[in-house]
Amino acid sequence: MSWKSPPLSRRAFTQALAALFALPIVRRFGRTRAEDIVEVDGWIVKRSDLA
Amino acid sequence: MIFQSYDEYKTAAFHPKVAIMGAGPAGITIARTLAAKGIPVVIFEAGSTEVTDESQDFYAGKTEGDPYFDLTVTRLRMLGGCSNHWAGWCRILDAHDFQPKAWVPDTGWPIGRSDLDPYVDRVRDILELPELKKNVPISDDIRWVQLIKSNAVRFGEKYQDEIAASTTIALVLNTYVTELLGDGHRVTGARIWSAGKDAGTFVADLYVPCTGGIENSRLLLWSNEQSNGGVVPHSEALGRYWMEHPQFKGGDAVISHEPSVEFDSSHEAFFSPSPEAMERLGILNFGIRFIETPYEGMKAIVANLACTAPSMAEWASEQLNQRLRCAAQLHLAWEQAPVASNRITLITERDAAGVPRIDLHWKKGDIERRTALEGMRLFGETCATANIGRVRIADWLRNGEDYPTDEELAGHHHMGGTRMGTDLSKSVVDADCKVHGMDNLYVGGSSVFATSGQCNPTTTIVALALRLGEHIGRKIAA
Repeated sequence: MSWKSPPLSRRAFTQALAALFALPIVRRFGRTRAEDIVEVDGWIVKRSDLA
Repeated sequence: MIFQSYDEYKTAAFHPKVAIMGAGPAGITIARTLAAKGIPVVIFEAGSTEVTDESQDFYAGKTEGDPYFDLTVTRLRMLGGCSNHWAGWCRILDAHDFQPKAWVPDTGWPIGRSDLDPYVDRVRDILELPELKKNVPISDDIRWVQLIKSNAVRFGEKYQDEIAASTTIALVLNTYVTELLGDGHRVTGARIWSAGKDAGTFVADLYVPCTGGIENSRLLLWSNEQSNGGVVPHSEALGRYWMEHPQFKGGDAVISHEPSVEFDSSHEAFFSPSPEAMERLGILNFGIRFIETPYEGMKAIVANLACTAPSMAEWASEQLNQRLRCAAQLHLAWEQAPVASNRITLITERDAAGVPRIDLHWKKGDIERRTALEGMRLFGETCATANIGRVRIADWLRNGEDYPTDEELAGHHHMGGTRMGTDLSKSVVDADCKVHGMDNLYVGGSSVFATSGQCNPTTTIVALALRLGEHIGRKIAA
């Protein structure tokens, strides 16, 4: 099986990661201080990451 | 001058004014400072130039509380002391580390960072450091700080030739000061054990134990017990307020494509909280070591994936025929609150010279746990806001599980036990490192630390040693 690198930057990867977190099965919000920051399964992310 | 034994030393007609116990970074620095002023000084080093099991056995003891290292492993009884196994990380405590924290009892030093600043250039020379950089705020809460990876100067190797050629420093190896004798105002002598036997009493004008952040307490506890309080007249705090830097992996991170901080050649960066953030959250100081996995392109993506989906990353790694780690690891080291119950006590078991071994009671408290968790959150928020990356807090930390037992545990940083202060019931030495109530007894090394801050202690130890050497020099000259 060959493996070809997809054109994915780290930022794009982070966005893809955020999409993964948007799934209800892994979403667990914790408290955060900044309104635009949320804690999901231990990840500290921006709300916009989850959009 | 270097002597291999106390018997050999006794044949020399050398009359020192100052007797230093321990030839580690503190002892050697104080001796060199005094020698530069023409003051004759002897250093009694219990070990030799090599580490041996026989010598290390004198350090054996018990630990209780949280898991801790074997006491024969966490320090070195030999010329150069613990500089022989330190990693070389350098940073002096920050100005705010010396200030009391209103939310943490028994914090604050009787001196400030400004008292050590005059010695920074000499510290840099001794430890072979580049110019120190200022902290760089990357948010109101988090600062990018400089923690220098130095050459890890081995004090024995570096200064052995200088001491051998000196006519004002006598270094006596294989010579163990087992006890100080005192009358409640002055130390009147030091009991020597050498070549497997009691070798009598040695007398000098001034005495400076520099035997390390555990042994200083042990020596003074035993001496005080033998002399009915004649060595440390105000002994309530003796052996107490002992501190370490807990060290654990606090989490992982994925790194933004264009992070806003630069990494050094080892792909590491260090971050600490602002004093305002510590006060707002009611936490202690901490340091996060951000270790980037230096991969590019597809490997970086898989490394990022390793943070989030390890099994998928494992499969991808196999396809790439690479072993990859998470994109960045976050190693957390942090300050420990000074509490009296963390302490060194003597036990009935004795070493070969008849000195009681110790029991080290060390336990992390609620504030340490909260500092680790809130610290990681604070850093994660800054990383997200500043688009450095995204942080994931380790499961054990966010789930309130026990501390991992298969990680670093702590920094091998032994602090406190003879802490500096003005309250006689909560400190052992004053701002000049002189034991309260004693005219001629000083203490060198990290046992005088009143609080621990978050950074590795050697740089501060050397700065304090230079300051103490200057103080003793002025006292002798007066």
